[in-house]
Amino acid sequence: MTGKDIIKITLNLVVIYVIGGLILAVVHATTSPVRYKNNVIAEQKALKLLIPDADKIDKLGDWESHERHAQYWIAKKGNDTIGYIVQSFGKGYSSYIKTLIAVDKDFKVQKIEILDEKETPGLGDEVETPSFKSQFKGKDLDHLKVLKTDTTEYIQAITGATISSRAVTEDAVRNGVQFLKDTIQGGGAAHVGHN
Amino acid sequence: MSATTEEISYWELIKNGILKENTIFKLALSLCPAIAVTNNLKNGVFMGVAVIFVQVMVNLTISAMRKFIHPRIRLPIFMLVISGWVTVVNLGMDALVPDVYRSVGLYIQLIVAFASILARAEMFASKNTIMPSMFDGIGMGLGFLVALVTISFFRELIGKGMLWGVPIINAKPLLILVLPAGGFFAVGILMAAFNWMYAKYFTKGHSH
Repeated sequence: MTGKDIIKITLNLVVIYVIGGLILAVVHATTSPVRYKNNVIAEQKALKLLIPDADKIDKLGDWESHERHAQYWIAKKGNDTIGYIVQSFGKGYSSYIKTLIAVDKDFKVQKIEILDEKETPGLGDEVETPSFKSQFKGKDLDHLKVLKTDTTEYIQAITGATISSRAVTEDAVRNGVQFLKDTIQGGGAAHVGHN
Repeated sequence: MSATTEEISYWELIKNGILKENTIFKLALSLCPAIAVTNNLKNGVFMGVAVIFVQVMVNLTISAMRKFIHPRIRLPIFMLVISGWVTVVNLGMDALVPDVYRSVGLYIQLIVAFASILARAEMFASKNTIMPSMFDGIGMGLGFLVALVTISFFRELIGKGMLWGVPIINAKPLLILVLPAGGFFAVGILMAAFNWMYAKYFTKGHSH
C-alpha cells in the first residue's frame, strides 16, 4: 500500500461518511415531528376510546414503570369520577409493551389498549388483537393472571406467546392497577372524596 | 457470474432476479427473514416492498460511486450505504405508515444484515453501470417479494385460516405453520416446489 492509497482511502471514507451523515440528518429532521405527532394523536385517540362515557379526561400525574416515564389520568362525567386511566409497561419477549389501562372507580379493569410493542410479528403481537384485549373487562387485581388453559375467570394466554401474554397481564396491567389503587386510595384521597 | 452489460437486456435482469437467482428459493440467502416475518401475508408484502426499495437504492448508489471507491475499503462503504438506506426506510415508514411499522419495524432494521443485499452490491452493482444495476435491484427485490408473498400466503392460510387478517377457512387451522418450526417446513416445501417447476418449465435444455 502506497502513500497515495492511504490518502485516497481516507478521502473516500471521509466523503462518503459525511454525505451519509447529512442524508440521515435531513431524513431524521423531516420525519421526527411527524413521528412525534403520530404518537400524540394515537395516545389521545386511545384515551377517548378507553372511557367513552367520560366528558373530561385530565392528567393526574406521572410515575415510572420499568424506569420509563408513564402518566395517569382521571376520567369525569359531570362532577362524578367514573374511572382512571394509567399508562404502564410490561417486559415482553423482545420489547417493553406500552399499555393504557382504564379502570372504574372500584379499580376493576374496563378496557386496555396496547400503544406500542415490538413483539414477534404473528405471535407476540397478537396481544393487540381485540379477542385478547377484551378478556380484561371486569377483572380485578386478583384475577389478572395468565392461564394456558381455557378460562374466562382469568386471562387466557395466546398460543405460542405466553411471555407476551404474561408481560401484558401480570406485568403491565397488574402493576398499573396496583399503582393506581395505592396512589388514589393512599395519597390522593381528595379525588375519591365522594365515594 | 453476471455477463457483460451489453449482452443482457433489462427484462433478462428482472427475470434473473425472480427465477434463476431468486434470493430465497434458488440462492437460499436471507432465510432468517423468510421465516421470521412470513407468518402473515401483510408482513410478507411490506417486508418485500421495503427490500425492493433498499436493494434498488443501494445498487444505484454503489454503481454510481464504483469508480470512486477504493477496492480495499469497499465492504465498509457498502455497509454504510446499506445501513444508511435502511435507516431512511425505517424512519420513513415510522412517519408515513405507523400501523405497518408497528408490526414489521423490528425486521426492517434487520435488512442491514441481509446477505442478499450485500451480495448484489459486491457482485453486480460494483461492476456495472447505473441502469443495469437499477434493474438488477428491481429484479432481485421482486424475487424476494415473490418468495415472501408465496411463503406467507401458505403459512397464514393454513396456519391461521386467514389471509391479510381476514378469516377464510372456517376450520381449526394447522397452527404449527405460523410458529417458527412450521416456517422451516413451509420454506423447504415451497423451495422444492419452486425448483421442480423451474426445472420443468424454465430451463431450455441446459441445467446447472
